Amino acid sequence: MSSELNAKPNKERALLVTIPLLILHLALLSLQIENPSGTLVFKSWVLAAQAPVLALSTSVTNGIRQLWTGYVWLVGARRENRELQQTVQRLSMLNRSYEQVRQENARLRRLLALNESIAYDTIGARVIARTPGFLANVIYIDRGSRDGVQPDAPVLCGDGIVGRTVLVFRNQSQVQLITNPDASVGVMLERTRTPGVLRGSGQPLLDLVYVSNTEDVVEGDVVLSSGLDGVFPKGFVLGKVIESRKGNTVFREIKVQPGIDFFRIEEVSVILPQSESGIQNME
Amino acid sequence: MKYLFLGLMSFLAILAQMIGGKNFFLFNFLDLSLILVAYWAVYRNRMQSLFVGSLAGLLLDAAMGWPLGYNGFGKTLAAFLIGQSWKKFNTSDQTWVRFSIIAASSWLSSLGILGLFWLMERSTSGMFLGASLLQAFITAAVAVIVFAGLDSYRRTQMHKVH
Repeated sequence: MSSELNAKPNKERALLVTIPLLILHLALLSLQIENPSGTLVFKSWVLAAQAPVLALSTSVTNGIRQLWTGYVWLVGARRENRELQQTVQRLSMLNRSYEQVRQENARLRRLLALNESIAYDTIGARVIARTPGFLANVIYIDRGSRDGVQPDAPVLCGDGIVGRTVLVFRNQSQVQLITNPDASVGVMLERTRTPGVLRGSGQPLLDLVYVSNTEDVVEGDVVLSSGLDGVFPKGFVLGKVIESRKGNTVFREIKVQPGIDFFRIEEVSVILPQSESGIQNME
Repeated sequence: MKYLFLGLMSFLAILAQMIGGKNFFLFNFLDLSLILVAYWAVYRNRMQSLFVGSLAGLLLDAAMGWPLGYNGFGKTLAAFLIGQSWKKFNTSDQTWVRFSIIAASSWLSSLGILGLFWLMERSTSGMFLGASLLQAFITAAVAVIVFAGLDSYRRTQMHKVH
């Protein structure tokens, strides 16, 4: 076989490899339509291999940041400035680090307030990585089965619902964001209580579907979780309607701007499984 | 052993991308795995670059939480295009030719994914095309700089030998 391949021109040989590879990928995709969980083992291996490196990189990055803000920057300032300027720079640097601490404090306070406002057992987690590429549809957090996290656990932050855990490892979990094309949330509009389904589209805006053309939906309407999907608790903000028009079918075409900047999430809360009964009780 | 090495390189490229993307926003528009595929097609072995593309794509799909196959398909297409175009055009010291080939391959890879999205009836938008165009430009620019550095290093080494 290899001697046959060598005898062929380069382009033809390349095609002989490319075409079967392309078909293989198409076949793989087709198989997953019928059995989406069929590739979970491969994904689990990949993510399990990545998880310790990601956790380590977060620690290293934080260490470098601390070193930079606490020492290297200071040495650079000494070289460049006289004593007075040096003091001013050091103070401004300190001020910046205090500002960072203040912002982190504010975020954590909001998380804490969130934790107190909901009747579920939650655990705080830090985001350790996000998916490669400009479509950030998945993030990784530093909590896993060791902390009681289970698959399909709702993940929240101070601004609303972030997503749900998909794959859970011992110390890390993969979180599918609500912007993921495979994600959907049962929702209702705050003003009219109109139910619908909020669907991710792999881009920053979300699609609100299955809302009838006869319903009154206007720009600025706040979208809340309805709790009917069995995953997300009721009453959490998901975003605001920014576009609503009559569709060609019986349903409206509605675009929703999420309330969260998914590129800048740093801390989240995960609802722990033992509180699932709590969700039902609340409803 | 060689294929294990290819797999490890692809894995590391994706890890680097995930870590970089978390810390620098613009890093999300750089496709490191495509640069790896291009490197393999240009400096190593065109046939192997097809496997690098496939494998890197599968790993990328796993990391992104997507069904396996989308990125594998796109990156294999890109590897084929880079391998064939690099051979056909005179790319030595022709920055714009190199840039165009890599940018076009990156965009073709994205178009391939978009096509599969459409086939599988997953929602997409024009924004994906715009963002992938930006990604193609940034990736091609970085790849051209890296390859120029590699060429310069190789020339220096050859002068030393002679």
